[in-house]
Amino acid sequence: MNFLTLFARNLWHGPYTDVFPFGPATTPEHLRARITFDPKQCEGCRLCEKVCPAGAIRFTRTPGGMTFDCWHATCVFCGTCEFYCPTKAVKQSNDWHLAHEQGEKYAQVEHGLIPNQICVECGAKALDTSPAVSHIKPPLSETEVSELRARCPKCRNKYLRSRKTS
Amino acid sequence: MTFINKLKDFAVKSPWLYRINGGSCNGCDVELATTACIPRYDVERLGCQYCGSPRHADIVLITGPLTRRVLDAARRVYDEIPDPKVTVAVGVCPISGGIFRESYAVCAPIDQYFPVDVNVPGCPPRPQAIIEGVAKAIAIWRQRL
Amino acid sequence: MTSQIATLLAVLLFPGGLFALVLGLALKGADRRVAARLQGRVGPPLIQPFFDLIKLGFKRTMVPTEASETVFLAAPLVGSVAMLISAALIPIAGVYAPDTELGNLLVLLYLLAVPGICLMLAGSASGSPYGAIGFSREMALMLAYEGPIVLIVAAVGMRTGMAEGHWVTFSLTEIVRYQQVHGWFLFDPIMWPAVAAFAFFYPANLGIVPFDIPEAETEVLEGPLLEYSGPALGLFKVMSALKAVVVLGLGIALFLPLPFTGPLAFVGWLVEIVVLMLVGVTALRVSAGRMRIDQAFVFFLKWPLLLAIASVAAVALAAGGAS
Repeated sequence: MNFLTLFARNLWHGPYTDVFPFGPATTPEHLRARITFDPKQCEGCRLCEKVCPAGAIRFTRTPGGMTFDCWHATCVFCGTCEFYCPTKAVKQSNDWHLAHEQGEKYAQVEHGLIPNQICVECGAKALDTSPAVSHIKPPLSETEVSELRARCPKCRNKYLRSRKTS
Repeated sequence: MTFINKLKDFAVKSPWLYRINGGSCNGCDVELATTACIPRYDVERLGCQYCGSPRHADIVLITGPLTRRVLDAARRVYDEIPDPKVTVAVGVCPISGGIFRESYAVCAPIDQYFPVDVNVPGCPPRPQAIIEGVAKAIAIWRQRL
Repeated sequence: MTSQIATLLAVLLFPGGLFALVLGLALKGADRRVAARLQGRVGPPLIQPFFDLIKLGFKRTMVPTEASETVFLAAPLVGSVAMLISAALIPIAGVYAPDTELGNLLVLLYLLAVPGICLMLAGSASGSPYGAIGFSREMALMLAYEGPIVLIVAAVGMRTGMAEGHWVTFSLTEIVRYQQVHGWFLFDPIMWPAVAAFAFFYPANLGIVPFDIPEAETEVLEGPLLEYSGPALGLFKVMSALKAVVVLGLGIALFLPLPFTGPLAFVGWLVEIVVLMLVGVTALRVSAGRMRIDQAFVFFLKWPLLLAIASVAAVALAAGGAS
């Protein structure tokens, strides 16, 4: 007679259904869904491209800089890219509204551009990536980071070496 | 004319779903069953009903990367479905191949074999995302009636 | 002439035809809605079966190349028409009594078997192996439940007939009139085996969950209905909706007709049929699992048949003791 109590409870309580197609949906905060990318924070290490099991992430060198593309139609939302990203430039949001019509299939892309810049020291053209500073001791100050950022990779190495000797 | 349109507006409230498993891992199939069986999602509110026979179907949900073995069977079942019908690809596998992309054993993406109308990416997609996809499919189906 | 027109109206408008169709579809809608509520869901709107029918009207009927086209298309039509006529044979206590020329309980028994036979024909004519399996299951189930229902009807007819002074009556009107005077057979201890046997019979005839073996969509992909689409499938839906009204109406006429007349009787009948549908069909459907065909066959040959025989024997003995 267990089912009778269940019936009574369901009749008394009313439906447990979400209002979703006719109203807002409840979404768990830590749901793994749409990938977001912040080119300001990217180090340009391309580790996410390497670890992506579905091959959804692709970096391309273009005349304007380096582009990041994550195609959501092949991303399996495993979260590995976020886990390995040293600066958390790649993040997973909980926005799951990804259903789309066939015409928009190839527009389901998270696109980002890491632009080129001119190195303030040597004048060479290099990517405006975020410097890898998390492991450096003693920690860099804000001004030092921005100075580092304005340089090309070679000049960054030089800058850090001179900081060590001084 | 307006009477026929009114009838079509009523008819569109009864989309029956049929799912074709194109070599799926069953993750998406479990989510499809979830949309119908779990009280929280309850796709029956839209008038949807999973039917056992392809002849009764209006909206076809295809899961899986369409393995080479299942391709022929899936195409034959698809042709059994009477027009007008709408095709929904559920999960990343039928849309692009997902983690099976470029494998010798799968025929993904399926849009080279079936006229796909709506894509619901996810691995597997959230039940609510599937409901969203079905709602989009219903809008397309209304135009085809 | 006027009686013929009245009969035609009874078949096409009330209580058969349009009225029975609308009531049957509304009952189906209520059934789905309440089943969803019992499971904690919202469920489809009440008029969902009407939407389904309209939708099926817009679809195309496909006839398989292996199918025998005439039988394939005629089966749903014959089934629906048989149910239309039998809906006109069911009396509504105090509102409607069927014309004796239209038929009696025996005709109704034959007509009640027609939908099952139509499903069998549909299954075998569709040329699909699933249809063939559905055909064999439907036949096994019919063999199992047709025996008890004949005996139940015989028991009720004997009970009424012997009390009225002749041996047995097959007029539903007379049965209803007798109960309106002497009280429900439901509260008559001699009739309890017949009531219990009827409680096993109607789920099998309506094809709801414990006994929906021929149309099990998870096993044989809706069996005989597998190859149907469009309007032909819609006719089968109409048939099953009408069947719900006929079988539940028969149950009400046999065991619990209301002793009122006029509008009150009509409203009371509607309430009775809705309550029977929701308690007898929906709650059963939601709470039970599907039986295997061999289990159902053995079950029907054991309990309902035994109960039906017991009810006939009890009625005969009671009449013998009274005289």
